[in-house]
Amino acid sequence: MKGFSHFITGVAAASFFPWSVQAAAEGNPLYFILGGAFGILPDTMDFKFYRFFYKHDIYIIPDPHKPDPQAIAEELARAVGMAQERDKEVRVKLNTIRMGADYWQQYIVKFDAERQEVSVRFGPVVNTGQVPVPNSEPDNAPVGVAKFPCNLVQTYESVTTVDIFDGPTFAFKRDGEGRSILHFLPWHRTWSHSLLTGAFFGLLCWPIWGWKAALVVPAGFSVHVLEDQLGYMGSNLFWPITKGRFQGLKRMHATDTLPNFIAVWTCIMLIFWNLYRFQPAPVYHFNFLQLILYGTVIPMGAFGLLHRFLSRNKEEEDRVIDVEREEADLLTG
Amino acid sequence: MMALYVVLATIVGTVLSSALSILPGLHAYNVLGLLVLLIISLGEAGLNLPPEVYLPFMMGMIVGWSMLNTIPAILLGAPDESALFTVLPGQKYLMSGRGYEGTMMTAVGGLGGLFFLVFIMGPFAPTVIPVVQDVLRPHMHWVLWVIITYILMSEWPKGGTTGISGWPKFFDAWKSLGAGLLTFFLSGLLGFIILYRPMVDVEVAFQNIMPAFVGLFAIPWCLLNVVSGASVPKQFVSKSLEVNGDVILRSVGAGGLGGGFAAFFPVVTGGVGGLLAGHATAQRDERVFIMSQGVSKVVYYVGAFLILFVPTVSVKRGGAAWMIQALHMPQGYGEYYMILASVAIAGCVAFLMMSPLTRATVWLIQKYNYRYVSFIAFLIIVALVYVVVGWEGLVIAAVATGIGLIPVLYGSRRLNCLGVLLLPIACNMSGVGQHIASFLRLI
Repeated sequence: MKGFSHFITGVAAASFFPWSVQAAAEGNPLYFILGGAFGILPDTMDFKFYRFFYKHDIYIIPDPHKPDPQAIAEELARAVGMAQERDKEVRVKLNTIRMGADYWQQYIVKFDAERQEVSVRFGPVVNTGQVPVPNSEPDNAPVGVAKFPCNLVQTYESVTTVDIFDGPTFAFKRDGEGRSILHFLPWHRTWSHSLLTGAFFGLLCWPIWGWKAALVVPAGFSVHVLEDQLGYMGSNLFWPITKGRFQGLKRMHATDTLPNFIAVWTCIMLIFWNLYRFQPAPVYHFNFLQLILYGTVIPMGAFGLLHRFLSRNKEEEDRVIDVEREEADLLTG
Repeated sequence: MMALYVVLATIVGTVLSSALSILPGLHAYNVLGLLVLLIISLGEAGLNLPPEVYLPFMMGMIVGWSMLNTIPAILLGAPDESALFTVLPGQKYLMSGRGYEGTMMTAVGGLGGLFFLVFIMGPFAPTVIPVVQDVLRPHMHWVLWVIITYILMSEWPKGGTTGISGWPKFFDAWKSLGAGLLTFFLSGLLGFIILYRPMVDVEVAFQNIMPAFVGLFAIPWCLLNVVSGASVPKQFVSKSLEVNGDVILRSVGAGGLGGGFAAFFPVVTGGVGGLLAGHATAQRDERVFIMSQGVSKVVYYVGAFLILFVPTVSVKRGGAAWMIQALHMPQGYGEYYMILASVAIAGCVAFLMMSPLTRATVWLIQKYNYRYVSFIAFLIIVALVYVVVGWEGLVIAAVATGIGLIPVLYGSRRLNCLGVLLLPIACNMSGVGQHIASFLRLI
């Protein structure tokens, strides 16, 4: 999920503790700040700290003046082979290609486990919002294809688009059956996304802010980890006891609009409900079902119906675009 | 007859503010502040204007300004803080010859935002706001702290994208993050100084923050345009916009949420509303993003003023509401519906003003070198600060510009400049502001 969704979920988690609401009403915002901060902390640790120190065996740095998809494909295939030979994890860093202050050359990497090959194709130049620059899609873009020497097991999606900011990392590791296991972003959602790490932070906060904070902190942290479990990548939920990431439920992508919006809205409602129910002498009276009905079901239902009505033509357009996408996939495959 | 006064006052206010809003750096509240002084002076001279004239006039000014002020933000690169997030996507449109289209999209968003306020929030506000207000009243201060925490924690590194892992990569990534944190705390410090040691005259105390805002947000962009010498490509005036009902609906949803939040919570500004509009709904479609910023801005400014008129509550949000209390405290459903009607009329007028004024500005930046236009914009801003606040304002603006240049130079988030308001006010609301001011030897 997006950072804001995690953050507000942490705040919502904090609001379930009566002392958070009571302290806040008396002027002390500590528990809500802790809830939100630890709600976003797992990604903060990964994206602001850990990834910059994560060592790689191979760095693929494409030449912006002479982009060569074949060279990239061959390096990736070599990495799969190295993992087989060495019997240890091989980490590959794919660098992005910056074309200007706000422009990036996109390229697409696709692992085909059945054919035992990796293909790379250059796409359009995109801006930092990942929107393609008009007419920048190369005509008859060459496709680089390279074979790798073993079966590949993919734990994430088979197609990776490389464009803005920091490029992705792949890690390949041989398993007991002689296959290579492909891990996407192996530095992400490992120790930083463990429920036990959250509990450790709770213990760490105890002497500083007391036992009440020690309960709020792991609550905010844990809801982040559990939300991420709804996605594709999953997390190493019990590091250091467990070594690898548990597979995600594959219900959503982190950047999907609807699940993020639903999460944010639900959290707003929950926070509001908790602030209401811990009020010493409420002036207005309503129950949880009424709040959900008037605060969520009716407005969201109306929004959903309107969205469905207004986007009925777009669904047809999307179907056409999907077919085009499949054709593009065939070209790269 | 009274209805005619309302309609005429709304139209005149909207047209006037529409024309003024394309002046970079001039805020509607600056003009409103002077207007309030004028109305008080007229009253003292025995010429009393009825509220049915000046209230719709003021609402017209707010609607017109909040819709049309995206013209200088996008086409001249001189935003106020609430239009902060429209500048980058807006300038992308400008640099691809679609400046007119980008600006008009925010106008469509603004119109959608007004529709949301008049027809959705308007009828329900008298029932919903008292309940929300009752529950949230003791909790306003921590919401500010939570927002500050999010602003500080949610900026992601932009550097450190190439090279071997290790400290050099880490430092490269943290350059922009460090600059962001520095910006926030320096602007917060400036906020404390402005709040506890105001340099401006008591008579223009309501203009206190104006020089800091133009220094933090508008002047750095103008200077950047002057220094970089960017040239604007040929602009096309498209006959239609690439938007459909669903894009408008999603923009209104995102912008309404962000702008509504900013309008309701004290000190949370349109810039924060814009941030929330983008982040809370994870919008990636650039059209939705830019339109939602238009929605958020209008909902923030107009919504904050509108809350003052909701008959069932007594809530003051935003500069306009604070200024108007010197003249009149609205009451009853009559004034509430009158002001809703003003919003609707003003929205229509402002939208009609948008296209000709955008075309005129597009013509201007094509006819003359963009660098010169930016320099003229800079001179106008400086002149306005001097006229409205005096030379003390220029000093504040100069200091604020220094701080506002940090994110421009290091590529960090400009929203961090909002520390100027958020930090001192949050400290005050939590009861520690006096201690910090005392520690800083400001009191």
